Amino acid sequence: MNEIIKIEELEKVYDTGAIQVHALKKINLSIEQGEYVAIMGQSGSGKSTLMNILGCLDRPTGGHYYLDGIDVGKLSENKLSAVRNKKIGFVFQSFHLIPRTSAMKNVELPMIYGKIANRKRHQRAKELLCKVGLEKRLNHLPQELSGGQRQRVAIARALANDPPIILADEPTGNLDTASSVEIMELFTELNKEGVTVIVVTHEDDIAEFTNRVIRFRDGQIMSDVRKENP
Amino acid sequence: MLLWENMKLALTAIRVNKMRSFLTMLGMIIGISSVIAIVSIGDTMRSMFAKEYEEIGLNRVKCYVMKFDGYYYYSENFTADQFNEIASVFSDEIEYISANEGGTITGINGRKNYEIVSTGVRGGYEKVQKVNIIAGRMINNKDYEGKKNNIVLEEATAIELFGTADVVGKTMKVKYTKGGSGTFVDDFNIVGVYRNSQSVLMKLLGGTDNTRGLAYVPESIVFDINVNGVWMIDMFVSEDAPPTFQTQFTNYIARMTNAKPEDVRYSSAKEAMGEMDSILGTLSIAVGAIAAISLVVGGIGIMNIMLVSVTERTREIGIRKALGARTGDVLTQFLIESAVISLVGGIIGASLGAGVVIIGGIALGVEVVVKPSVMLMAFAFSALVGIFFGLYPARKAAKSDPITALRYE
Repeated sequence: MNEIIKIEELEKVYDTGAIQVHALKKINLSIEQGEYVAIMGQSGSGKSTLMNILGCLDRPTGGHYYLDGIDVGKLSENKLSAVRNKKIGFVFQSFHLIPRTSAMKNVELPMIYGKIANRKRHQRAKELLCKVGLEKRLNHLPQELSGGQRQRVAIARALANDPPIILADEPTGNLDTASSVEIMELFTELNKEGVTVIVVTHEDDIAEFTNRVIRFRDGQIMSDVRKENP
Repeated sequence: MLLWENMKLALTAIRVNKMRSFLTMLGMIIGISSVIAIVSIGDTMRSMFAKEYEEIGLNRVKCYVMKFDGYYYYSENFTADQFNEIASVFSDEIEYISANEGGTITGINGRKNYEIVSTGVRGGYEKVQKVNIIAGRMINNKDYEGKKNNIVLEEATAIELFGTADVVGKTMKVKYTKGGSGTFVDDFNIVGVYRNSQSVLMKLLGGTDNTRGLAYVPESIVFDINVNGVWMIDMFVSEDAPPTFQTQFTNYIARMTNAKPEDVRYSSAKEAMGEMDSILGTLSIAVGAIAAISLVVGGIGIMNIMLVSVTERTREIGIRKALGARTGDVLTQFLIESAVISLVGGIIGASLGAGVVIIGGIALGVEVVVKPSVMLMAFAFSALVGIFFGLYPARKAAKSDPITALRYE
């Protein structure tokens, strides 16, 4: 199968002057197109650092990260922006919608930066919001939506440029159980459509939804378990 | 496309924070409105002076000779014969010439008497200088050649002496001093009445509407009053006069009066207007520049608010970057925002400044000059101020690191 993410001897060292913190210690990891992965670990385990690097928000200090075959560590700042725009859809714990901006506009944002024509953008944003079940909330502002609804807007936004990967950082962290289940079911559905979904979480219930669980501790992978029959 | 999106974003940001945006704009509003007001007032003054000079006659020249004997300056007088000589020598170049200054005479009607300053004119004066005759006629060449005791009174003078302006055909006594050789009283026929309408500029400069006591008499009589001649040549130079006319004329007058050419003072209305215009122009630029300092203050206000805005919206910037915004996109967004704030402030300010000037103009009855080019320049300049002072905050926003920005609470 096609390796969408390949990590070789990946290192991340934070140099705080007096001491060097090794957040990631020579990690090797490979995720294939269409996988549904949970990354677990306690805080400080290095999972967030990995997430940032996977999301091209941060650069590794050593090793290589191939995203869809491209060594992103070597890309310029603007090229990285383009990679984030086209290849990755972010879903955050606290939704991170732009305040005072309608659901439609929020979903359109990645397409604006992707230079998608106006009409196509509206069309696609509407489709996506319908897909996540918010057809009646198109012009609502984030503050007028519930937590679950906000996260749906965020997922619709993550899908805007049809990226191969969705990176979700504690996507259910601020949601009640019912909403959490709904959101995870949405991810499962998307995964069935062929999107690679990577969820960072510390809840086992959430990890249950995925097909592969990678556990981190002290900047290293402790275990990497695939379900036999997804 | 992105530019347009950014414009919309900026307008939304301004709308959402109405009060803050307004306070930020206030600096620009005050700055731009005062610059516009000052420049427009300056332009209005210039156009008023231009009109004033046009009324006097741009080709009007006053010429006199001022000699210096080592101790005193003294003027040289011209006699009637000399006037005629000048008129015939320069008949092609001079449209009209007269010994303007006639001296003070006293008009008498029964018991009433009134001091009048007489102006000696020849026929055709009304052709070079507007005289608003409301009854009768102006002094003509027959009056001049026949040295007739005819007089044209100003309306208010007539009312003062006769209690009415309907005085054409009436006779009045005029008392005058004949060159120091005693006081004479003569009968004068009133042949016309004119109305002296004062220009708006003169009113603004503090003059009253009442300029009684100016009367026109034939110039020939003036020489009777001033037997030693008059010191000022008042003339209108023809449009077709060669450029060398001033030198020719000055040299001729110098020879005639045994003066040095530099003693001949030649002052044309055109020159005076040019000087006045350049003084006013410089003045309005200088005052405008001082007012423009307030634009810098306004700009700093914008920078201040933009810095606050950037800090407040750190997370938004992080989100945008995560979603694929490039450094340039964020920079443009914030630059456009500050430019729009500044431009909107500029537009409000320019409208306000122009409005105040126009309303003031209506109140004072002055035709004001508000140049569209000045308005456009104000708009462009205010946008520039916004961009200049927005640069630092926008760069700060654009350079922020997405991870820290996303974590920012």
